[in-house]
Amino acid sequence: MKRELEEVRIAGEEEARERVRAVVLSAFGEREPAPRSSRWPRVAAVAVALAAIGAAALSSPGRAVIDELREVVGVKRAQPALFSLPAPGRLLVSSDAGVWVVEQDGSKRLLGDYREASWSPFGRFVVAAKENELTALEPDGDVRWTLSRPGVRSPRWTGTETDTRIAYVDRTGLRVVAGDKTGDRLLVAGFRGPFAWSPGPGFVLAHTGSRGRMVIRDAESGRVLARSGEGAVPRELVWSDDGTRLLARAPFSVRLLDGRGRRVTEEGPSDGTRAIGNAFRPGTREVVEIRRAGTGSNVFRWGDGRSLFRGTGVFDDLAWSPDGRWLLVSWPTADQWVFVRATGARRIRAVASVSEQFRSRSFPRIEGWCCAR
Amino acid sequence: MGAGRHERARVRGAQQRSTADLEALFEAHWPRAFRAAYLVTHDAAAAEDIAQEAFLSAIRNLDRFDRRRPFGPWLHRIVVNRAIDWTRARRLRAEVELGESQPAAENPRPPGEDVLAALARLPPEHRAVIVMRYLLELTPGEIAEALGLPRGTVNSRLRRGLDRLGEEL
Repeated sequence: MKRELEEVRIAGEEEARERVRAVVLSAFGEREPAPRSSRWPRVAAVAVALAAIGAAALSSPGRAVIDELREVVGVKRAQPALFSLPAPGRLLVSSDAGVWVVEQDGSKRLLGDYREASWSPFGRFVVAAKENELTALEPDGDVRWTLSRPGVRSPRWTGTETDTRIAYVDRTGLRVVAGDKTGDRLLVAGFRGPFAWSPGPGFVLAHTGSRGRMVIRDAESGRVLARSGEGAVPRELVWSDDGTRLLARAPFSVRLLDGRGRRVTEEGPSDGTRAIGNAFRPGTREVVEIRRAGTGSNVFRWGDGRSLFRGTGVFDDLAWSPDGRWLLVSWPTADQWVFVRATGARRIRAVASVSEQFRSRSFPRIEGWCCAR
Repeated sequence: MGAGRHERARVRGAQQRSTADLEALFEAHWPRAFRAAYLVTHDAAAAEDIAQEAFLSAIRNLDRFDRRRPFGPWLHRIVVNRAIDWTRARRLRAEVELGESQPAAENPRPPGEDVLAALARLPPEHRAVIVMRYLLELTPGEIAEALGLPRGTVNSRLRRGLDRLGEEL
């Protein structure tokens, strides 16, 4: 076993070592100097540190860490806490502590020790997942029902005011249950990839198939309605509000398909940049994308390529306000959330210390911004 | 001088700001740290970030490090725990793992591909104990301490993980 583990080939191993070595040496050189008797070792240490910083600056991870060490990352005039949301609606957030609802006035409520969650249609309920439990609850935390299943994840709720369905993944595959907990059944055995409900009529969802194909399936009958051609295996699927466009995002390829799985266009970063996240602006087919390039990240609009916000390090999640005026960008490198006004004159509102506010060691995830009451 | 004494001397040197000693520690421990992170995450970029962050964490805490303890296990504990956290977070985001997403390979497969694909089908917690036992050569007791688990849990994960790997391979 040892030999087999040591034989696994890792692409770019040597380059990674050189990049990290430069970063580690530069960080070592930046430590507080110890008392010393001779000036020469100090001169040598400074020379090594400068050389290492120079080397590190050439590499993206190195540059990111140096920036982090110097604490220059982030919007300077960020609010110390989330005092309010800039637009109507409520946020659903998950952190190490559990799942939270954030009201427009900035007040937060911890719903419980759940790992992930999503809004029901119209934001009336939340569906949340623990290791072996699916739970439907009200936004004030009152539990409506629970369903025990092994290894639950990715719950997503869809439907009308009177009839809803929840799709989720467990160890058996992709499953669907009605919003009142009835009729739980397996839809796609062994499925583990991403899926997304279509916002159109009926209960239709898209999920990944073999060789990067998108499968569009009627969740009631189980019938396959359409299949796309092959492509890069996506990590995320996103529908436009009108159900006529489906985005399939892989790190180096973002496909835009129509409602029948036919390719409309494809963005293929070919310059070493990576697509990190995409979102349709509510009520439109306008796509925004997070692109990570070198030492920084950029949020830009497809079509005219207009940059909405850029910064050093990594951006993670995107969420539009329900009115489509503000875009929330999560920025783990700076431990900030940045609200960007995307209409009229550009405005930015940043919030600092996001992890601490959600009692989290890792950076909290934005699960959704939903539905003004 | 034994390997342990060599390492203690390097740690002492690094604590006294010797860049050469720090570099020697990096060279000695980078390959396993990076490989362990990769075998748990199956993502080279994540493995690089995790190994880098572990070394930076080690530097930050170097002055408090007890030289009587071995440096490697201390570093590897940081690496493996972060790799498990990262892999869990990715699963929560429903990202497709490499082993699942790759189309069927044509023969012959490169060395190590089979074991990598088989590892990908294990839960990250099982992957981690396999990697710690067989790549990092830690004892079950050391793994239990590093992961904060009862030794029985480590043993059962090792056994189940090996059984499943055996079936896959």
